[in-house]
Amino acid sequence: MKIEGWLFALGAGFYFVVAGAYWFLSGDEIGTTALVMTGALAFLVSFYVLYTSKRVFPRPEDLQNAYVEDADPEYGFFSPHSWWPLGIGIASFFVVLGLIFAVWLVVFGVFVLVVALVGWLFEYYRGAFAH
Amino acid sequence: MTILNDPPVQTSPQPPSAYSPGLGKKVISWLTSTDHKVIGNMYLVTSLFWFFLAGIMALVIRAELAVPGLQFISLEQYNQMFTMHGTIMLFLFATPLFVAFANIIMPLQIGAPDVAFPRLNMLGYWLFFFGGLIVIMGFFTPGGAASFGWFAYAPLSNALYSPGSGADLWFLGLTMGGLGTILGAVNFITTIFTMRMPGMTMFRMPIFTWTIFITSILVLIAFPILAAAFVVAFIDRSFGSVVFAPENGGAILWQHLFWFFGHPEVYILALPFFGIASEIIPVFSRKPIFGYKGLVFATMAIGALSVAVWAHHMYVTGSVYLPFFAFMTMLIAVPTGVKFFNWIGTMWRGSVVFDTPMLFTMGFLITFLFGGLTGIILSAPPLDFHVSDSYFVVAHFHYTVFGTVVFLMFAGIFFWWPKITGKMLNERLGKIQFWLLFIGFQVTFLVQHWLGVQGMPRRYGDYLAADNFTTLNIVSSVGAVILAVSSLFFFWNLIVTWKTAPKVTVDDPWGWGGSLEWATSCPPPRHNFTSLPRIRSDRPAFDLHHPELAPPGVHDQPPAVAGQQGSSQ
Repeated sequence: MKIEGWLFALGAGFYFVVAGAYWFLSGDEIGTTALVMTGALAFLVSFYVLYTSKRVFPRPEDLQNAYVEDADPEYGFFSPHSWWPLGIGIASFFVVLGLIFAVWLVVFGVFVLVVALVGWLFEYYRGAFAH
Repeated sequence: MTILNDPPVQTSPQPPSAYSPGLGKKVISWLTSTDHKVIGNMYLVTSLFWFFLAGIMALVIRAELAVPGLQFISLEQYNQMFTMHGTIMLFLFATPLFVAFANIIMPLQIGAPDVAFPRLNMLGYWLFFFGGLIVIMGFFTPGGAASFGWFAYAPLSNALYSPGSGADLWFLGLTMGGLGTILGAVNFITTIFTMRMPGMTMFRMPIFTWTIFITSILVLIAFPILAAAFVVAFIDRSFGSVVFAPENGGAILWQHLFWFFGHPEVYILALPFFGIASEIIPVFSRKPIFGYKGLVFATMAIGALSVAVWAHHMYVTGSVYLPFFAFMTMLIAVPTGVKFFNWIGTMWRGSVVFDTPMLFTMGFLITFLFGGLTGIILSAPPLDFHVSDSYFVVAHFHYTVFGTVVFLMFAGIFFWWPKITGKMLNERLGKIQFWLLFIGFQVTFLVQHWLGVQGMPRRYGDYLAADNFTTLNIVSSVGAVILAVSSLFFFWNLIVTWKTAPKVTVDDPWGWGGSLEWATSCPPPRHNFTSLPRIRSDRPAFDLHHPELAPPGVHDQPPAVAGQQGSSQ
């Protein structure tokens, strides 16, 4: 994971340098703020990834000579199908229309949104695909 | 056709299909899908729908501009037309199209069974779907759709100058769609970080996957700023805050925030399609990509620099530091030039064959080169002052954006259609479509450079006969009709292919495919691979199908205790 982390670290360094140069040259607060925040975003990701990479063994996808069999057999869980993304989409649709046209629609939309979120979060706590 | 000439290569076994469900069950399986290929196809179909809708708006614009006087629509309707044309093309066609190609191809290219967050992927699609619906609903409100141009400058876009709910729908609908794009980007970055197959190191990933990675980072940088700015603009409109009021300096604040999104957005549109070109050119030049690492570093450099050039859209405001942005903008031409160098180096002394994907890629190279050159012209403030907000700029960004997105979209569709549907699109119809598209495009937009230099401003619904713009405008409108006709051949091709084309039975119908998507069946099974080849280079499928040319170690028996041989890179 080292390469991934260093990519973001490079980005962070670049944006901080550019932000400094831009501030020195133009004195523009808006652009400088945006550039500093961009650098902070890149720094956050790079810090997390590099921190993690020190604490894990080299993964097979980071090795030049790895074999397919080296992958973890417990690959992970993939949702087979789900209604809840559609539910959250429809709820957001109501919320947005309500913000523009009518408050009661926002209330209704938020209600649907909460139901859909609960459904999403607890979808695989029971039923055929519980784990 | 390459299929007939090539020796058949080994084919992954097709999973047995137990039964074919009815239409209702099929529709429900799409609505609830968490399969990245199905979601990608839904993105593709939806964004193509928006493409043709916005294309019709473009035809209305060209019809109105063909001769002086107002023939078809009022000036207010004209404003709505160009606003919605730009909005749909950028937010509802080109950006989701990047997500479409990334979804369909990227997990296949890194040997992953799906994306990291399948349900989040689908949520992104629904946010884009309903967001687009909300944006287009503006046409059905009493005041009509938004009419302030796709960059919604304050104070024109405030409640005083743009009353009506059409503009509110525009702001919030695009915020929703933008949220969907952010979720997609998070998903792609996580997938690329954590779900590559063993041996698929970062510097063995196909260039297309690299461009998706860099583009997703740009999405994370740019889209949150856009979403925040749009929500604040909506609060200004609806609840009376004054963040973007001109007396507080809000007009310039809006331009900074919008273009801090807007310029990375241009590269969000361009980079994935550069990636498609980088996939297609080696296959049809029968050579490995020239300068793999150079291309990767050029992609990174473009991604990094694109965040520091935003105010070149604001030269004429007089409120930005010109030398910085002129320098950075000219600098970004260097990595783009490196990419051109690599593409030409790949073709150099290769056996170039002009199948349809390659033809569209050639169209892109020529068209984008023109757009890049006018971009250099526009990056110089003294030149920009003269042609800013004229048709020169319109010609410039159509050459860049149409050149990359549309030409390479068709290239990618023709290239990957067997992977998507299991059938090859018709080559003859594809070539007719390409030539009509290419000629139609050049006729439409080349003359607009001269219109701009003569002083025709953009976004005006009408002009006078005395302006002497008429001849070039007629030429441009005729070109637009040719352009529109070319799309009919595409639809015809889709139907002909669907009805008559034989099923592709090999993994790699083009015969020289390099990346992993060509090592599985057409179309791939639910979790993409029934078996994975061993990765020892940056083109594993080529090594698999051409063992005589493969690097050592690809086809050897693995040692008894696997995994002990791996050395850290």
